[in-house]
Amino acid sequence: MTAPTHDPLTLSLSVNGETHDVRVPARKLLSDVLRDDLGLTGTHVGCEHGVCGACTVLIDGRPARACLTFAAQMEGHEVTTVEAMGRPDALSALQQALHEEHGLQCGFCTPGIVVTFEHYLRENPDPTAEEVRDVLSGNLCRCTGYQNIVAAVLKAAARMRGEAA
Amino acid sequence: MSGDFTEIGRALPRKEDRRLVSGRGRYLDDLAFPGALHVSFVRSPHAHARILDIDSAEAAEMPGVVGIFTGRDLDQMTTRLRLAPPIEGLQPTELTTLPIEKVRFHGDPVVCVVATDRYLAEDAAECVTVEYDQLPAVTSITEAFAPDAALVDDSLTSNMVSHQSLCVGDPAARRAEAHRVVEARFSLHRHTHVPLETRGCVADWDDGRAHLNMHIGNQVPHPLRSQLAARLGLSESQVTVMSPDVGGAFGQKIALYREELTVAALSRHLRRPVRWREDRMENLMSAAHAREYECRTRTSVSETGRILGLELEIDEDFGGYCFYPANYMARVIALIMTGPYRIQDYAYEVRVALTNKCGAGPMRAPMAITSWVMEGTIDAIARDLDLDPVEVRRINALGPEDLPYKMPTGELLEDVSPRETLEIAVDAIDVAAFRARQAQARAKGRYLGLGLCTVIESTTYGSEFYKSAGIPGSGHESAWVRIEPSGAVNASVGLMGTGQGYESPLSQAVAEGLGVRSEDVTVHMGNTNIAPYGMGSRGGRGATAGGGTLYLCALKARERVLAIAASMLDLNDAGGLRMRAGQIERMIGEDWQETGLALTDIARRAYLDPLALPEGITPGLDFSHSYDPPAMTYSNSTHACEVEVDPQTGAITIDRYLVAEDSGTVLNPIVVRGQQQGAIAMGLSGALLEQVIYDGTGQNLSATLADYLVASPNELPEFEILHHNTPNRRTPAGIKGMAEGGVMGAIGVLANAVSDALAPRGVTIERLPLTPQSIRALLREAAPSSTKRTQP
Amino acid sequence: MKPAPFTYHRPASLAEALALLRTHGPAAKPIAGGQSLGPMLNMRLARPGHLVDLNDLIELDRVRVKDDMLEIGALTRHHRLANAPEVQRSLPLLGAAAASIGHYAIRQRGTIGGSLAHADPAAQLPLIAVTLGATLVISGPAGTREVAAADFLQSIMTVDLRDGELITALRFPLPVGDLWAFEAFSRRHGDFALVSVALSFARDAEGKIDALRLGLGGVDTVPLRLPEIEARAQGRLVDVDTIRDLAAAAAAAIAPEDSEQVPAVYRRELAETLVIRAFQSALTREEGA
Ligand SMILES: Cc1cc2nc3c(=O)[nH]c(=O)nc-3n(C[C@H](O)[C@H](O)[C@H](O)COP(=O)(O)OP(=O)(O)OC[C@H]3O[C@@H](n4cnc5c(N)ncnc54)[C@H](O)[C@@H]3O)c2cc1C
Ligand code: FES
Ligand code: FES
Repeated sequence: MTAPTHDPLTLSLSVNGETHDVRVPARKLLSDVLRDDLGLTGTHVGCEHGVCGACTVLIDGRPARACLTFAAQMEGHEVTTVEAMGRPDALSALQQALHEEHGLQCGFCTPGIVVTFEHYLRENPDPTAEEVRDVLSGNLCRCTGYQNIVAAVLKAAARMRGEAA
Repeated sequence: MSGDFTEIGRALPRKEDRRLVSGRGRYLDDLAFPGALHVSFVRSPHAHARILDIDSAEAAEMPGVVGIFTGRDLDQMTTRLRLAPPIEGLQPTELTTLPIEKVRFHGDPVVCVVATDRYLAEDAAECVTVEYDQLPAVTSITEAFAPDAALVDDSLTSNMVSHQSLCVGDPAARRAEAHRVVEARFSLHRHTHVPLETRGCVADWDDGRAHLNMHIGNQVPHPLRSQLAARLGLSESQVTVMSPDVGGAFGQKIALYREELTVAALSRHLRRPVRWREDRMENLMSAAHAREYECRTRTSVSETGRILGLELEIDEDFGGYCFYPANYMARVIALIMTGPYRIQDYAYEVRVALTNKCGAGPMRAPMAITSWVMEGTIDAIARDLDLDPVEVRRINALGPEDLPYKMPTGELLEDVSPRETLEIAVDAIDVAAFRARQAQARAKGRYLGLGLCTVIESTTYGSEFYKSAGIPGSGHESAWVRIEPSGAVNASVGLMGTGQGYESPLSQAVAEGLGVRSEDVTVHMGNTNIAPYGMGSRGGRGATAGGGTLYLCALKARERVLAIAASMLDLNDAGGLRMRAGQIERMIGEDWQETGLALTDIARRAYLDPLALPEGITPGLDFSHSYDPPAMTYSNSTHACEVEVDPQTGAITIDRYLVAEDSGTVLNPIVVRGQQQGAIAMGLSGALLEQVIYDGTGQNLSATLADYLVASPNELPEFEILHHNTPNRRTPAGIKGMAEGGVMGAIGVLANAVSDALAPRGVTIERLPLTPQSIRALLREAAPSSTKRTQP
Repeated sequence: MKPAPFTYHRPASLAEALALLRTHGPAAKPIAGGQSLGPMLNMRLARPGHLVDLNDLIELDRVRVKDDMLEIGALTRHHRLANAPEVQRSLPLLGAAAASIGHYAIRQRGTIGGSLAHADPAAQLPLIAVTLGATLVISGPAGTREVAAADFLQSIMTVDLRDGELITALRFPLPVGDLWAFEAFSRRHGDFALVSVALSFARDAEGKIDALRLGLGGVDTVPLRLPEIEARAQGRLVDVDTIRDLAAAAAAAIAPEDSEQVPAVYRRELAETLVIRAFQSALTREEGA
């Protein structure tokens, strides 16, 4: 049995389509590496035990908790964060709908919700309100009471399907 | 009145959204400080214990560790917090920055480890050994008030840190004459705020300038700066507080907490930037808790259910430390208890206990229990006298003919409409139709219930209120408005938003007052070097105090702008002029007509050609104003909800939820609706799911988000919101403020609805939260038929 | 809330993973989806010196029907389990239970092997494994062995896994009765259930119960299958009386932990109610079909 090493690892991470080389300890959480080492601070940290969903990113296109993932595990995988999903002056359909429907207040939960549903709506373009609520249960929001978030997701879905909404 | 507004009342989407929704917000942890040190606190594993010894020798040698500091060290660097306002019945308290002699709750910070990163700081924190001598833990109000109770604060004479009473009229006489005296009990459990972003700060000591830059998400930048300066022995000129975007606060980011002061002191001591991010377990255990009350009412009533007199007892579990005067929250409950009802004979007794739990503080609607107690009392009267609860409300409710109404405590209600919102809600939910459905369902063994809850929400506390409550402090707010040489409009106010979305509504207040478009106004908040000294954000004061002050300040600016415009148009005075969307218009005949003059022209004149200004007008366009709102402003609402209780599992489903609301002039309906939804959600989540749990030894059992349950979308209903807005005639633009009443109403209406549902089983809800296991316990003990039964 | 240091290993094959576990002994811990181990690491409730990442062992991410069994590789994610056509055809109960685990993002990562190894007494997949008599395939220094799920799960977070061993697959015997239901009661959507019930049965030509499998989660330190109740059901008509009788007997057969927060009597009541509802929903679904 050997003692654990503190020596940092050199990792090559593919995030939002770009490759980044970082030197970080093996135990460093993906959420911390994204934020501290790559400056991608849109991924928020609200609990570090998997419940709140604020840290949700896409791993190989599928939503996952960055706080329950080590950056070291991400070599060879593609990580996508909220930063890849629209800009303040070019919001995605989902972001635009959240804005119009007042689906955010403090905004701390919002990136996790955007990431989750950017993926979900691609796989499920025509969800019911019930299905949206089920998926949204993985993202806690303390401010809004959720009603407007559900409305925004449904509105975005309709627009993405090409329906007027 | 509101019909005349062009900017106030617009459904302007929020200005902050674009950055927040795209992940480009800047919250505290998003700010980079090269070379910043990170702290981790060693916290007490015990509820109550003497600190015998702290050994940090091993930890100090660990990789990355820069320093390890204890209460004794911090006592050298900071002054103590002494709370001794001249309030009768309130024991003065004093506390050190970190505990020195003993710890008072599970999670109390004892040692601060400073290291080069958070991981290493936590490694070292694990290696600090603290030797404790455990003391008996006081974990309930009953224990705290027991004659042989251990003292939570050794410097006090008892755990009853505050005790006040009041008697107005002659409630005892009313009791003697009453047809019936109805008693009711209400026990509200401990909550905590759970902002999605926990507390945290970065203290950046500028050694050359001897100046502290304190980056901290908070609601009250200026008062916080005053406190920081005082406790660090600095002048207010040596401290700047800067609040970045904040991920929610709900009252948890008002006080200067011990951890934050520690970080600031250590930045100065180490001459390095030092940062702290509270983790979620710390937040749930150690930040601030709220709402733990036991209330009892005794109501003297006539045969028709008319309330003759009300006697109220409130006991509050305040936890281990006073970060606020201990009477602060309970007092307001007692002051506004009679709320929507005509009651003149009234007595209260308020006792506050120190216990070995996390210190309590205001949480969105610190007076939340009020509406449940009053409305639960009304339902108790109806049950007792076998009357229709709607009728009992009707005959007691304040109507227009009663206003202005002086409550027995002296609080003045003006421009409120409790009877109107009651009727709107009763109508909209269609009580008669519900009763028919309920009867059918009952016949099939299903338990449907309808609850009502009328709320009088104290929103804005003016200085007069503080004075009469004996609390030193001010309720005023300050603002500045500056029109730049280009015509750009900047403004600032002492508030700090923590998610409410101030940027749009406050720019609407400025735009309305000045006569420009809201889109062209930028409101700056959160930086004490920029913002005027204001009292910040708490309660529902944002719109009235903040919006009101900005509006008045903008009116001042408009007057000057129009005066300059008049001179530029060669008019004698500005009487026939106005500004709309930054364009000067002139009344000609019956019509407003364009003059071709715009704000940009006036700004250019004011800054670049000041000699051309009319006599008596100074150069520049820079205005400031402060405003002290009335002693108190009130909004009101009536909540109505339908529930179904599953008698087998005890689960509660909310089938319908509506609220009829009067929040005066609305600055921005989008934002107001969001605040209503959020407040109701927080109330329902608290009543159904949330609970801070301590075991009998004072161990906190709810330190993760898998244990402290915050509602997901699946537990919450859709909210129907009906408006009945009547402006307040004493505030600028008729604004009343809001954002907390939703919590008050939600708690009361849900408890009342569940009691209604379970009425056939004789069950009354006296204790929250409404967990399925507690509902089952009530039903298990209830007789199958209808003998009265209340919660254990 | 940051994990203690560890050395990270990323084996490319099962053999390599087993070798690493062997080399590092009890200091080594495998990580699959990390949805249970992650929080424990962050809270420092687990502090392995070596973390062996199983996520590259894609050969363990598989679902296949072989003769008389459904074999699920240990690395199969809950989301895949919930949606795989093979599972929906042959064991819809397993799919439905998987679909109810936690939240969408959790299901994208969490694995069946991790869920069994973690052995939360309220977890869905251990309950289904016990109820349907699944077998775990375990590889280790001494080769490969098979163990019944009911024997594997020993107590709260305690399982029959020896040093250096990995779960590689679960095998569910087929066929099972075509009536089934999964009922769970939790305070908040997506949380671990306070009590859950899984059942499956067939009906013979006369409409009588055949081969009932009945399991309860959250009522003991491990999920329980109730063979006495299953026997009691054999050959009875599925009517209201039978269902009530079986539910009452099931509730009487368990001895849940008693705590101030969740009293034993409440769990027993829930068990009884959920057994009734499970039968009802099995019948309703059949009618709907
Ligand atoms: C917010 C949240 C909600 C959740 N809700 C639920 C719920 O409602 N129901 C539920 O059942 N679960 C729930 N979970 C847990 C989830 O299902 C986990 O996925 C599961 O318990 C563990 O699987 P994993 O692959 O993530 O395992 P890991 O977390 O990676 O590992 C768990 C344990 O299993 C060991 N292990 C992993 N794979 C193997 C293997 N092949 N062989 C031997 N040992 C192995 C690890 O060493 C570790 O001890 C929830 C989790 C979260 C964060
Ligand atoms: S921070 Fe990862 S789920 Fe909360
Ligand atoms: S907007 Fe604040 S937590 Fe969702």
